[in-house]
Amino acid sequence: MAEAETDARRLATEARDRVRFEEEVLELADQVYRVARRLVSSREEAEDLVQETYARAFRSWRSYTPGTNLRAWLMRILTNLNIDRGRREQRSPDTQPLEEGDYFLYNRLEQTGGLEDAERIVERLSQDSIVGALSNVPHDFRDVIVLVDIGDFSYQEAAQILDVPIGTVMSRLHRGRRILKGQLAETTVGEES
Amino acid sequence: MTQFDPICEKCEELIQPYLDRELNEVERIEAEGHLSGCGYCSERYRFEVSLRRYVRQACCSEEMSPELKAKLAALRTPLH
Repeated sequence: MAEAETDARRLATEARDRVRFEEEVLELADQVYRVARRLVSSREEAEDLVQETYARAFRSWRSYTPGTNLRAWLMRILTNLNIDRGRREQRSPDTQPLEEGDYFLYNRLEQTGGLEDAERIVERLSQDSIVGALSNVPHDFRDVIVLVDIGDFSYQEAAQILDVPIGTVMSRLHRGRRILKGQLAETTVGEES
Repeated sequence: MTQFDPICEKCEELIQPYLDRELNEVERIEAEGHLSGCGYCSERYRFEVSLRRYVRQACCSEEMSPELKAKLAALRTPLH
Protein backbone atom coordinates (compact mmCIF):
# COMPACT_ATOMS: atom_id res chain seq x y z
CA MET A 1 0.00 0.00 0.00
CA ALA A 2 2.73 2.40 1.04
CA GLU A 3 4.67 1.41 -2.03
CA ALA A 4 1.76 2.13 -4.35
CA GLU A 5 1.40 5.53 -2.76
CA THR A 6 5.08 6.34 -3.30
CA ASP A 7 4.76 5.30 -6.91
CA ALA A 8 1.71 7.45 -7.41
CA ARG A 9 3.50 10.40 -5.86
CA ARG A 10 6.55 9.87 -8.05
CA LEU A 11 4.38 9.75 -11.17
CA ALA A 12 2.56 12.90 -10.14
CA THR A 13 5.86 14.73 -9.61
CA GLU A 14 7.14 13.56 -12.94
CA ALA A 15 3.98 14.68 -14.73
CA ARG A 16 4.22 18.06 -13.09
CA ASP A 17 7.90 18.43 -14.07
CA ARG A 18 7.08 17.48 -17.63
CA VAL A 19 4.23 19.96 -17.89
CA ARG A 20 6.48 22.72 -16.58
CA PHE A 21 9.23 21.74 -18.99
CA GLU A 22 6.82 21.78 -21.93
CA GLU A 23 5.47 25.17 -20.98
CA GLU A 24 8.94 26.66 -20.68
CA VAL A 25 9.95 25.21 -24.02
CA LEU A 26 6.84 26.60 -25.71
CA GLU A 27 7.52 30.05 -24.29
CA LEU A 28 10.80 30.08 -26.23
CA ALA A 29 9.11 29.30 -29.55
CA ASP A 30 9.36 32.82 -31.01
CA GLN A 31 13.08 32.99 -30.31
CA VAL A 32 13.66 29.52 -31.70
CA TYR A 33 11.75 30.39 -34.84
CA ARG A 34 13.73 33.59 -35.43
CA VAL A 35 16.99 31.68 -35.34
CA ALA A 36 15.64 28.83 -37.46
CA ARG A 37 14.34 31.24 -40.07
CA ARG A 38 17.84 32.62 -40.69
CA LEU A 39 19.57 29.25 -40.66
CA VAL A 40 17.54 27.98 -43.60
CA SER A 41 16.42 29.67 -46.76
CA SER A 42 12.62 29.44 -46.76
CA ARG A 43 9.76 29.94 -44.36
CA GLU A 44 8.54 26.36 -45.00
CA GLU A 45 11.92 24.86 -44.14
CA ALA A 46 12.07 26.93 -40.97
CA GLU A 47 8.61 25.77 -39.91
CA ASP A 48 9.52 22.11 -40.53
CA LEU A 49 12.76 22.50 -38.64
CA VAL A 50 11.06 24.10 -35.63
CA GLN A 51 8.39 21.40 -35.56
CA GLU A 52 10.98 18.64 -35.67
CA THR A 53 12.94 20.40 -32.93
CA TYR A 54 9.89 20.58 -30.68
CA ALA A 55 8.88 16.99 -31.37
CA ARG A 56 12.36 15.83 -30.40
CA ALA A 57 12.56 18.14 -27.39
CA PHE A 58 9.26 16.86 -26.00
CA ARG A 59 10.33 13.26 -26.60
CA SER A 60 13.68 13.63 -24.91
CA TRP A 61 12.70 15.95 -22.08
CA ARG A 62 14.37 13.66 -19.55
CA SER A 63 17.78 14.43 -20.98
CA TYR A 64 17.38 18.10 -20.03
CA THR A 65 18.84 18.94 -16.63
CA PRO A 66 16.54 21.42 -14.85
CA GLY A 67 18.29 24.66 -14.00
CA THR A 68 20.64 24.52 -16.97
CA ASN A 69 20.33 26.69 -20.07
CA LEU A 70 17.11 25.55 -21.74
CA ARG A 71 17.45 27.92 -24.70
CA ALA A 72 20.89 26.55 -25.52
CA TRP A 73 19.67 22.96 -25.05
CA LEU A 74 16.86 23.56 -27.56
CA MET A 75 19.14 25.32 -29.99
CA ARG A 76 21.53 22.41 -29.93
CA ILE A 77 18.72 20.09 -31.00
CA LEU A 78 17.80 22.54 -33.73
CA THR A 79 21.29 22.98 -35.16
CA ASN A 80 21.93 19.22 -35.06
CA LEU A 81 18.69 18.53 -36.91
CA ASN A 82 19.54 21.20 -39.43
CA ILE A 83 22.86 19.53 -40.14
CA ASP A 84 21.19 16.09 -40.29
CA ARG A 85 18.74 17.40 -42.84
CA GLY A 86 21.56 17.28 -45.28
CA ARG A 87 22.16 20.95 -45.59
CA ARG A 88 25.87 20.13 -45.81
CA GLU A 89 25.17 18.82 -49.28
CA GLN A 90 23.88 22.15 -50.40
CA ARG A 91 26.04 23.92 -52.84
CA SER A 92 28.56 26.20 -51.27
CA PRO A 93 30.30 28.88 -53.27
CA ASP A 94 33.32 27.67 -55.25
CA THR A 95 35.35 30.64 -54.21
CA GLN A 96 35.44 32.08 -50.76
CA PRO A 97 33.95 35.56 -50.83
CA LEU A 98 36.34 38.44 -50.62
CA GLU A 99 37.05 39.41 -47.08
CA GLU A 100 37.66 42.97 -45.99
CA GLY A 101 38.37 44.69 -42.69
CA ASP A 102 35.67 45.66 -40.22
CA TYR A 103 35.54 49.28 -41.30
CA PHE A 104 35.14 48.30 -44.94
CA LEU A 105 31.37 48.73 -45.24
CA TYR A 106 31.34 52.11 -43.52
CA ASN A 107 34.22 53.33 -45.64
CA ARG A 108 32.48 52.28 -48.84
CA LEU A 109 29.18 53.85 -47.87
CA GLU A 110 30.94 57.00 -46.79
CA GLN A 111 32.87 57.28 -50.06
CA THR A 112 29.78 56.94 -52.19
CA GLY A 113 27.34 59.01 -50.19
CA GLY A 114 27.32 62.56 -48.99
CA LEU A 115 28.28 63.58 -45.51
CA GLU A 116 25.81 61.94 -43.23
CA ASP A 117 25.64 61.04 -39.61
CA ALA A 118 27.15 57.61 -38.91
CA GLU A 119 23.83 56.41 -37.56
CA ARG A 120 21.94 57.52 -40.68
CA ILE A 121 24.30 55.93 -43.18
CA VAL A 122 23.02 52.52 -42.20
CA GLU A 123 19.58 53.45 -43.50
CA ARG A 124 20.90 53.25 -47.02
CA LEU A 125 20.91 49.48 -46.69
CA SER A 126 17.56 47.88 -47.48
CA GLN A 127 16.08 45.13 -45.32
CA ASP A 128 15.99 42.84 -48.34
CA SER A 129 19.66 43.40 -49.03
CA ILE A 130 20.53 42.50 -45.44
CA VAL A 131 18.49 39.30 -45.48
CA GLY A 132 19.91 38.43 -48.90
CA ALA A 133 23.49 39.13 -47.86
CA LEU A 134 23.15 36.96 -44.76
CA SER A 135 21.78 34.06 -46.78
CA ASN A 136 24.84 34.31 -49.02
CA VAL A 137 27.25 33.85 -46.14
CA PRO A 138 28.54 30.22 -46.14
CA HIS A 139 26.78 27.96 -43.60
CA ASP A 140 29.51 27.54 -41.02
CA PHE A 141 29.93 31.28 -40.71
CA ARG A 142 26.23 32.04 -40.91
CA ASP A 143 25.33 29.62 -38.08
CA VAL A 144 27.57 31.52 -35.69
CA ILE A 145 26.35 34.96 -36.76
CA VAL A 146 22.73 33.87 -36.37
CA LEU A 147 23.33 32.38 -32.91
CA VAL A 148 25.26 35.37 -31.58
CA ASP A 149 23.62 38.31 -33.35
CA ILE A 150 20.04 37.09 -33.62
CA GLY A 151 19.87 34.44 -30.90
CA ASP A 152 21.84 36.54 -28.37
CA PHE A 153 24.02 33.63 -27.33
CA SER A 154 27.46 34.19 -25.86
CA TYR A 155 30.56 32.83 -27.60
CA GLN A 156 30.69 30.06 -25.00
CA GLU A 157 27.05 29.08 -25.54
CA ALA A 158 27.46 29.12 -29.32
CA ALA A 159 30.49 26.85 -28.94
CA GLN A 160 28.47 24.37 -26.88
CA ILE A 161 25.51 24.47 -29.23
CA LEU A 162 27.63 23.84 -32.32
CA ASP A 163 30.04 21.55 -30.50
CA VAL A 164 33.14 23.42 -31.64
CA PRO A 165 35.91 25.10 -29.63
CA ILE A 166 35.29 28.70 -28.58
CA GLY A 167 38.23 29.82 -30.73
CA THR A 168 36.41 28.45 -33.77
CA VAL A 169 33.30 30.45 -32.83
CA MET A 170 35.41 33.58 -32.59
CA SER A 171 37.20 33.12 -35.87
CA ARG A 172 34.03 32.18 -37.75
CA LEU A 173 32.20 35.15 -36.31
CA HIS A 174 35.06 37.43 -37.21
CA ARG A 175 35.27 36.21 -40.79
CA GLY A 176 31.52 35.75 -41.18
CA ARG A 177 30.69 39.32 -40.25
CA ARG A 178 33.31 40.60 -42.64
CA ILE A 179 31.95 38.44 -45.43
CA LEU A 180 28.48 39.78 -44.62
CA LYS A 181 29.73 43.35 -44.86
CA GLY A 182 31.50 42.64 -48.10
CA GLN A 183 28.26 41.28 -49.54
CA LEU A 184 26.32 44.29 -48.30
CA ALA A 185 28.82 46.68 -49.81
CA GLU A 186 28.61 44.85 -53.11
CA THR A 187 24.82 44.91 -53.29
CA THR A 188 24.39 48.43 -51.95
CA VAL A 189 27.28 50.33 -53.47
CA GLY A 190 28.23 48.11 -56.35
CA GLU A 191 31.70 47.18 -57.40
CA GLU A 192 32.44 50.02 -59.73
CA SER A 193 33.00 52.85 -57.27
CA MET B 1 44.49 60.69 -36.11
CA THR B 2 44.56 59.02 -39.48
CA GLN B 3 43.17 55.69 -40.58
CA PHE B 4 46.70 54.33 -40.94
CA ASP B 5 47.36 54.64 -37.27
CA PRO B 6 48.19 51.15 -35.95
CA ILE B 7 46.12 51.89 -32.86
CA CYS B 8 43.10 52.43 -35.10
CA GLU B 9 43.84 49.13 -36.79
CA LYS B 10 43.88 47.42 -33.42
CA CYS B 11 40.65 49.20 -32.51
CA GLU B 12 39.05 47.91 -35.70
CA GLU B 13 39.79 44.40 -34.43
CA LEU B 14 38.40 45.09 -30.97
CA ILE B 15 35.07 46.68 -31.84
CA GLN B 16 33.17 43.47 -32.60
CA PRO B 17 34.15 41.57 -29.44
CA TYR B 18 33.63 44.81 -27.52
CA LEU B 19 30.04 44.99 -28.76
CA ASP B 20 29.65 41.30 -27.91
CA ARG B 21 30.89 42.08 -24.37
CA GLU B 22 33.55 39.45 -24.80
CA LEU B 23 36.71 41.54 -24.25
CA ASN B 24 38.71 41.09 -21.10
CA GLU B 25 39.09 44.00 -18.72
CA VAL B 26 42.42 45.21 -20.12
CA GLU B 27 41.23 45.11 -23.73
CA ARG B 28 37.94 46.78 -22.82
CA ILE B 29 39.70 49.71 -21.16
CA GLU B 30 42.05 49.95 -24.13
CA ALA B 31 39.14 50.01 -26.61
CA GLU B 32 37.11 52.54 -24.61
CA GLY B 33 40.14 54.76 -24.12
CA HIS B 34 40.85 54.83 -27.82
CA LEU B 35 37.21 55.29 -28.83
CA SER B 36 36.76 58.27 -26.53
CA GLY B 37 39.63 60.15 -28.17
CA CYS B 38 39.55 59.06 -31.80
CA GLY B 39 36.94 60.59 -34.10
CA TYR B 40 37.75 58.22 -36.95
CA CYS B 41 37.09 55.10 -34.87
CA SER B 42 34.21 56.46 -32.79
CA GLU B 43 32.31 57.35 -35.97
CA ARG B 44 32.78 53.81 -37.24
CA TYR B 45 31.88 52.45 -33.84
CA ARG B 46 28.56 54.33 -33.93
CA PHE B 47 27.96 52.92 -37.39
CA GLU B 48 28.56 49.37 -36.12
CA VAL B 49 26.11 49.87 -33.27
CA SER B 50 23.35 50.99 -35.62
CA LEU B 51 24.26 48.35 -38.19
CA ARG B 52 23.73 45.62 -35.62
CA ARG B 53 20.39 47.01 -34.59
CA TYR B 54 19.44 47.31 -38.23
CA VAL B 55 20.51 43.76 -39.14
CA ARG B 56 18.59 42.39 -36.20
CA GLN B 57 15.47 44.32 -37.22
CA ALA B 58 15.72 43.11 -40.79
CA CYS B 59 16.30 39.50 -39.77
CA CYS B 60 13.63 39.33 -37.09
CA SER B 61 10.85 41.06 -38.98
CA GLU B 62 9.13 37.81 -39.88
CA GLU B 63 7.05 36.49 -37.01
CA MET B 64 6.13 32.89 -36.46
CA SER B 65 2.65 32.05 -37.75
CA PRO B 66 -0.12 31.32 -35.22
CA GLU B 67 -0.68 28.02 -37.06
CA LEU B 68 2.87 26.89 -36.31
CA LYS B 69 2.46 27.92 -32.70
CA ALA B 70 -0.69 25.82 -32.46
CA LYS B 71 1.09 22.87 -34.08
CA LEU B 72 3.91 23.06 -31.54
CA ALA B 73 1.47 23.16 -28.64
CA ALA B 74 -0.29 20.11 -30.12
CA LEU B 75 3.00 18.17 -29.95
CA ARG B 76 2.84 18.22 -26.15
CA THR B 77 2.26 15.02 -24.28
CA PRO B 78 -1.47 14.59 -23.76
CA LEU B 79 -2.59 14.76 -20.14
CA HIS B 80 -4.22 11.58 -19.01
